[in-house]
Amino acid sequence: MHLDSNLEMLMARYQEGDFTAATVLVERISPQLYRFFVGQFSSRPDADDLLQETWLRIHRVRHTYRPGEPVLPWFYAIARHVRVDHYRKAVRTTAREQRLEEMSQLAAPAPGETGKGDDLEALLAPLSESQREVIEMLKVAGMSLEEVARATSSSVGSVKQKAHRAYEKLRERMGPMRLRKGQSEEKS
Amino acid sequence: MRDGEIDEILRKAAARVPDVEAALLKRVADSIQPSMRQVRPLPRTWVLAGGLVLICAGVALAGAARAGFNGFEKMNLLERALIFSTLGVLAWVAGTEFVNEMIPGSRRKISAGRLLGLGSLVLVVMFALLFHDYHTEHFVSVGLVCLATGVLHAIPAGLLSWLLLRRGFAVSSVSAGVVAGTLAGLTGVGLLELHCPNFQAMHILVWHTAVLVGSAALGALVGRAQRFRVRDLRRMS
Repeated sequence: MHLDSNLEMLMARYQEGDFTAATVLVERISPQLYRFFVGQFSSRPDADDLLQETWLRIHRVRHTYRPGEPVLPWFYAIARHVRVDHYRKAVRTTAREQRLEEMSQLAAPAPGETGKGDDLEALLAPLSESQREVIEMLKVAGMSLEEVARATSSSVGSVKQKAHRAYEKLRERMGPMRLRKGQSEEKS
Repeated sequence: MRDGEIDEILRKAAARVPDVEAALLKRVADSIQPSMRQVRPLPRTWVLAGGLVLICAGVALAGAARAGFNGFEKMNLLERALIFSTLGVLAWVAGTEFVNEMIPGSRRKISAGRLLGLGSLVLVVMFALLFHDYHTEHFVSVGLVCLATGVLHAIPAGLLSWLLLRRGFAVSSVSAGVVAGTLAGLTGVGLLELHCPNFQAMHILVWHTAVLVGSAALGALVGRAQRFRVRDLRRMS
């Protein structure tokens, strides 16, 4: 709560034209947004590009933040818009080049191909896009249900439902993973 | 496996995501520095929504002043009170949602599709309760004139509404288009209720309500076109 109000204060100073406040906001918010992009299967260069694009957009529309409103949903709504835009563009380009097969591999990589099986991307791999973003915001960024609902332009009920279904899928996936891990530890 | 254990695994996985490079953060900060200046935040939602309702009422009244208040004069007191108070409430709800669509991270009370569905349903029920003459005459030809008149008045209402909210930023342009179209469509319906003296139930139920749906569809198309236009402009730059 204290952190949020601190961010709100920084955002208000950013709107007043305070460059120091803007720099502090960039340093505080960027790691969260970066994790958000990485959790949505963006490669590191893609996540870098998305982060820069998001900040340019944030800067251009910073007057749309209204003091007193929660600040994280505002940031995440813009980041989500940039990511969806980027994804649509990627799909369009890929379709044009008739490389849909490669794209489907990019959209849903198998756990073994992304590196470690317990990487954030690999863990979230079985989830749908909307479930991934809800889990990312709720459990990784630590936002409340209300804040996630605001960021995703949906209702609290819908966020709860997505989170519940995502946890069912994660439970199905993580159960065997934990079992395998236990067996390999026993062998060693 | 318990939820707490999943939370812990996710938390550890998130901690392994590499940090953002300091050089990238500096690049971001440097890119915004030249255009740093004070900006004026958007007014409160109720102020903007009030402005939108006034615009819609103004367009409907101006249209009726030009075309004549024939429908309004033919109505009884109950019809006047019920129709215009309902349209006012719907316009306020649509105006508030349009403002929310144009401000990222706003609380949404109703989705764009539900707003259109609810608005259409309320109008159909209200018209069905008030008008009972099911005799039809020149159903299509007269209906098309009403539909065209309603949509033609919805267009300036939509444009003026967009002008009022031009400083906003729609994270979903199609959704914002549907809501703006619904609001503009209510203006068209308002104008028809003021002007149209044809009280045949089927005419009002089908053609007056169609203005709302047609206008929302037009809004969705404009929103979709806007999405591609913005992307093409970005690619050109």
